[in-house]
Amino acid sequence: MSGMSSLTKLISTLARVSDTKLVLLNHSNVQIISSAKMSQYPKYFIDPTFRNDELNAMYETGEVKEKALVPCRAALTEHTSSEFYSSFTRKFINHVMRKGNKQLAREIVEKAFEVIKKTQIQKFHSLPPEKKVDFAIRDPHELFHQAIINVKPIMVLTPIKRGGVRYQVPVPVDDVQATILAYKWFIEASKDKERTVRFYNKLAKEIMDAANNTGRVVKKKLDLHKQCEANRAYAHYRWN
Amino acid sequence: MATTMLHKHRVSVLFSFGRSLYRRINVSQGEFGLQQKCSAYSRPINTLSASEAVAEIKNMPDESRPMPAKKPISKAMKAYLLQAKNYDEFMKKQNTEFQIGRRHLANIMSMDADTMTQEDIDQAIEFLFPSGLYEPRARPMMKSPELIFPPKKAAEFDESGRPYHSLFYTMNPNFYGLLQEAVTEYVNLNKEEDNMIRKRISFNSDMKIILSGSDWLSQEKLSNLLIEQIDDAQYEQFKNVMLRLAEHPLSNKVKDFIMKYRYSLVNEAALAEIPKPSYEKDGRAYVTFKGARRKNAYADVTVHMPGTGKFLINDCDIEYFQDIQSREQVIC
Repeated sequence: MSGMSSLTKLISTLARVSDTKLVLLNHSNVQIISSAKMSQYPKYFIDPTFRNDELNAMYETGEVKEKALVPCRAALTEHTSSEFYSSFTRKFINHVMRKGNKQLAREIVEKAFEVIKKTQIQKFHSLPPEKKVDFAIRDPHELFHQAIINVKPIMVLTPIKRGGVRYQVPVPVDDVQATILAYKWFIEASKDKERTVRFYNKLAKEIMDAANNTGRVVKKKLDLHKQCEANRAYAHYRWN
Repeated sequence: MATTMLHKHRVSVLFSFGRSLYRRINVSQGEFGLQQKCSAYSRPINTLSASEAVAEIKNMPDESRPMPAKKPISKAMKAYLLQAKNYDEFMKKQNTEFQIGRRHLANIMSMDADTMTQEDIDQAIEFLFPSGLYEPRARPMMKSPELIFPPKKAAEFDESGRPYHSLFYTMNPNFYGLLQEAVTEYVNLNKEEDNMIRKRISFNSDMKIILSGSDWLSQEKLSNLLIEQIDDAQYEQFKNVMLRLAEHPLSNKVKDFIMKYRYSLVNEAALAEIPKPSYEKDGRAYVTFKGARRKNAYADVTVHMPGTGKFLINDCDIEYFQDIQSREQVIC
């Protein structure tokens, strides 16, 4: 546990001097500007609202009047008001996709979720009746969300050149970047398999393990954090 | 009526030329001379009204004390007035040239010169002088001289050097005049708010201006509007003052004033193009939109009102699309 305390110390010092961005959402007179950097749209174009519940909420609060005449970006083809829509999963599907084959990527991920659900049901039925009450069959989307939270790193190592030498310096990481790293690790772990094993089976296993805070992907995160802790002497190289 | 003996008398008279000015005039001593000159005036001056006194003193030939000579106009003033005159003449000339050019262009393009708009002129010039230049401002253009040449202020002070605008000595009278106007409106709104509170009238959100869909004029545009150079600090001040006014609960009353300094973000022309419905035999209304595009896809869409909820895509139902995402796009 001493390792944990020094780790938390490192995190706290980094957090104190970190330059995380604050996104202020002010509903009075400042418009909610989309943060996309390399966009074909001018900066004052806002993101579209395509979920029915969000839309109804806007009508109730009267926010509709403010937003009615503000120019709006076009909704992506992934943006639907479907019951099966999950913003986390759609981003992950994009990362799984290769060569623009969205159909295949979506099939893989949905099959993986099917496998997760099946294994849970199998587990449930294999339990004795007393333990069945405690066991909860969770939605695969929810499990995936939990897995991502468990796998997201707080800091990473970046190479910084000082005096001709490249040091691996621990640096705090953005929430979005951390999520992208988590997606990448899941895909890497699922690819590293025997020839006969299917990708979606492996992916399902990884997700379930990560949701329990065990398994390969979580280990990778913990290893990275350990390395960051080991390199904490170089932390000041971040600011020279 | 006995002539009054005007002894050494100091007369103070109030003049008013626009701004109130006080002048003390020493009436000359010498009773006899005065008696002769003032024989016509039997009343003492201090009972006269101001305007009458003015008329008197103006008409009084006072040879013993010469009137102060008229101040010669300074060279700077002369140059300034000459510049203003030259600019006016220049603009007049340009205007006449533009009008002649318009008529010639109408003749060439066989259009009616009287009903020709600036849009027609732009189209004609683009046709006659096609340009491959990327920058639109570098291409040949024929516009009214007010749009091309930067506007200049009319003479800001008169021949004696007295400025017309009360805020002239701020160097940016239009800008500070605008801020003063904003503050005046704010004070008036505050008074109205107090009245409403006293009468227990409730406030609703309709009384506050909605600023969404528009944005403040840029620094450059504001400078052009006010015909003055506005620097960064002044622009920030302008935005702060106007925002403060706009956040007042009754700001809808000064909507016209605020919207003068805002431009709309919405393409209003596009909003106005609402197609009119046609009617089928059984009375159902329908609208057909041709040319809905997305990338290289092209669609003609017909919507019926009242509808059944059913739809056909190229005479097939939802099965036309094999991809689940495409199907979701149709329904959700």
